[in-house]
Amino acid sequence: MADLFNFLFLLVIAVLIVAGSLFSLVAAIGLNRLPDVFTRMHAASKAGTVGSGLLLLAAGVHAGELSILFRALAGFLFFILTAPISAHLLARAAHEVGYRLNEKTVINELRRDRPLE
Amino acid sequence: MTALGLNLLLAVLWIAFSGSATFVNFLFGFLVSALAIGLIREQAEGVSYLRRVRFILSLTILFFKELALSAWKVATLVLRRDMDLKPGIFAFPLTVDRDFEITLLANLITLTPGTLSVDVSEDRRTLYVHAIDCSDPEGTKRDIAEGFERKIMEAFR
Amino acid sequence: MMAATLFNFAVWLGLAILSVAFLMTVYRVVKGPTLADRVVALDMLVGIVIGFIAIIAAKTGFTLYIDIAIALGLVGFLATVAFARFILSRQTADEEGGKSNGERAAKRTHATARKVR
Repeated sequence: MADLFNFLFLLVIAVLIVAGSLFSLVAAIGLNRLPDVFTRMHAASKAGTVGSGLLLLAAGVHAGELSILFRALAGFLFFILTAPISAHLLARAAHEVGYRLNEKTVINELRRDRPLE
Repeated sequence: MTALGLNLLLAVLWIAFSGSATFVNFLFGFLVSALAIGLIREQAEGVSYLRRVRFILSLTILFFKELALSAWKVATLVLRRDMDLKPGIFAFPLTVDRDFEITLLANLITLTPGTLSVDVSEDRRTLYVHAIDCSDPEGTKRDIAEGFERKIMEAFR
Repeated sequence: MMAATLFNFAVWLGLAILSVAFLMTVYRVVKGPTLADRVVALDMLVGIVIGFIAIIAAKTGFTLYIDIAIALGLVGFLATVAFARFILSRQTADEEGGKSNGERAAKRTHATARKVR
């Protein structure tokens, strides 16, 4: 019984580790395949955050101690809070100084409302 | 009462962060959070606490669901052979008007499928959102307005 | 026994996947083509390194690594914010080797010099 429990415990951690690193890999692939800086930001801020968050969670679960799990969860929360802020700041800065959007872009209502010059 | 609840919550969070669940540490956390609440007294008061907590909880659950969905969506998009992208920036008319709510909404939008908030207009009426699939901006706007924005209104009004 | 093997396998697989993701992100940092792209990639790089640290925390059992990962996340966030400010203050989207829009940028710098921000 204890054996089975141990097995399930490690299985969960293994799944978390593999899933987290796969999400990071997907974010890296997206970073290379997507056409412009704004779409790349999508990949980095979503898949990247989830990836490192899952890995951190795996480390927290593996410690098998509630206080450490909480700390890992707090770290996850922290990443979730900061990732959109940095993505937003970068996107805003990039748009403000006039980085081009990819030519497939269908509409740009921000440029319409606030033209460059 | 509400300040007390908040205080207790912060004290528990303090224990979680500092990682030692002793009584002395709890007292210290309680003291620190009391100090923090004292600093932001105006915002902390006048909140019917328990109802708020329920709405905030439902917002959190919605958020994590959307986060998982968005990571998955990005994954499938990136791994497709032909990336048929229609990116674009659309203007989302804001109903919420407080700074805190706009910040929260912008953050939530960034971490949900295919959208990334770029800028807020000077008059705080419009949020500019970059969408990776902007073929149906009206539909996306409706989703945000009826999903996160409504939940935020429920939780913080 | 089997559980431990599974866990070890997951750890090595995770490290291998993360290495691939790391190299791909480094490729994007080197290739650019714009500063904003590089900053996004560097931000992503921090996320991947956090993932590495988390896996190693699970592998070795040193839970202190989790705190290190959180601290690194904070540093990475601040770095990205600083880079965003830098992009804003540079007031140009010109890159060496990129499409030149120097005239437009010069005009814009002139215009934004009046605008206080």
